[in-house]
Amino acid sequence: MCIQDKEVLPANGKPIQPLGVGFPYFAGLPADLYRSGLAAFVEITPETLCRQRTTGSAVEIEIRPDHLATAQQTCAGLPVVVHGVELSIGSAHGLNNAYLNMLDSFQKEWPFLWHSEHLGFQTIAGDNDSTLEIGVPLPMPATVEAVELVAERSAAILERYDVPFLLENPAHYFSELPTDPEIGNEYRFLSAFTQKSGCYLLLDLHNLYCNAVNHHFDARDVINTLPLDRVIEIHVAGGSWRDGFWMDAHDGRVPEPVWELLEYVLPIAPNVAGVVFELLEEHATRLGVSAIENELRRAWQIWNLSHGAN
Amino acid sequence: MGLIDYQTVLGRMLREQNRDDYLRGVSLAAGESRYLENLRDTAEFRFYASVQRSWCVGRAMKAAHLTLSLLPQEERERLLDEWIDSGSGAQSFFFVEAEAFLDFIGGHLSDRPCEYTVCQFERATMRASNGANVFVAPDAASLRRPDTCLSRGGYAAVVRFAAAIDQLSNLPGPLADLFSAGLIVMFSPGRAQLWHEPAPEEVDLWEALESPASVRTLLDHGHSLETIERLLDHGAIEYSTVSLSTQ
Repeated sequence: MCIQDKEVLPANGKPIQPLGVGFPYFAGLPADLYRSGLAAFVEITPETLCRQRTTGSAVEIEIRPDHLATAQQTCAGLPVVVHGVELSIGSAHGLNNAYLNMLDSFQKEWPFLWHSEHLGFQTIAGDNDSTLEIGVPLPMPATVEAVELVAERSAAILERYDVPFLLENPAHYFSELPTDPEIGNEYRFLSAFTQKSGCYLLLDLHNLYCNAVNHHFDARDVINTLPLDRVIEIHVAGGSWRDGFWMDAHDGRVPEPVWELLEYVLPIAPNVAGVVFELLEEHATRLGVSAIENELRRAWQIWNLSHGAN
Repeated sequence: MGLIDYQTVLGRMLREQNRDDYLRGVSLAAGESRYLENLRDTAEFRFYASVQRSWCVGRAMKAAHLTLSLLPQEERERLLDEWIDSGSGAQSFFFVEAEAFLDFIGGHLSDRPCEYTVCQFERATMRASNGANVFVAPDAASLRRPDTCLSRGGYAAVVRFAAAIDQLSNLPGPLADLFSAGLIVMFSPGRAQLWHEPAPEEVDLWEALESPASVRTLLDHGHSLETIERLLDHGAIEYSTVSLSTQ
């Protein structure tokens, strides 16, 4: 597979090398998939290598050494990026510090090139300072308060890990979100966030496609308003219909319109270092290695086209 | 609308789908309350609620496949509804969710000894499996100090398959056989297979540690140091941090 030799924008003073196409780490898939050359890097969700321990009101997320060792062996020296799911960066009552403490340890054990999280919230405050899980991730309102909260926390995270920190645009099913005129809409939220925080974006094209289908807009119009120079990673994924909504289910192949969005955005997003085909693990094993390899090849074709390779 | 109020109300509306007091304790203007109340009537909110509920059901069912399979569908659904209506089922870490749900189910099976035992069996398997990931056999040297305190292992359990014959009719054959044989199983995180059929002296020691006890007390009551060492090595029992000064 071809890798462009120019470097993307400096992040924290360190240039990021374009990697190409990556794939999430799943313990249940054959290790050969990660050694086939079809994945130039691996995206790890560290929580999948962890267990949670609760002592009184204190919650700790511990890395399981056996899981970590297996993952490192499977990934066989490939570059690694982190894609977390437990941070809940937008929770007004507080983000998940147990996740960050775990990530401190993870970075020492397995340094990553950049890390990302989801823009949203999944916890609320309960009684007696407890934290309650909602059970689904929810989108942030496009308000000044929300932007400032997320930007301030992200800037601190950027400093803490000294590698680029990216937030992913979410799929959500609300046709309208509370919005302040100073922000405008959820996509201008992303611009305000990058400006205020100095952080970066993970552009999830399937999330954008979901929102475009469910809320009836043209995804290209939104892409044209985004700060594309801040996009370091792109996700493509599959979904399915449920109760009249196109759902971000990560349950199969990438729909053709999402591939077309990738073809559209890669040439105009100058600093993209990697494209990841996302799946949930239970669907990855059902879909099978051959189908996954086909999706990765398709991603490489588009990557190579936009990077001037054969 | 303040961010924390917005998130609190929206989160409650999804977590507590059968309650109407989701505005409690928050300060919203009339228009803001109306916005959230109207949101609750939209197809998109109902979709969120349906997804949230199905994910919570999925997490719970994954935790208690065996026990739930023994219950009539109506009861299974009632228990799942009650669990999720209480705001549970939303934890993303499997073992945390699994143990809590199995405890919840167990609490509803007190008059059903077979199903309760199978629930304890499933919980013990889960707990020992979770413990096996972190268990390190402790140094037995502290057993030489008579005041050393011991307790049952945090990841260990003993499950007794005991039931009257007429209670077995609803159980699948292999499970009924376990009850017919009166099997006793000890789960220990340090054993390669996690479980074994304990010897009588191992069961006696387990019973003696219903509450923490010192090595001296155990030896005085006839338990052997060899049995204590063996169960300690496998994590069936462990050094206790409980003070025995009041005993």
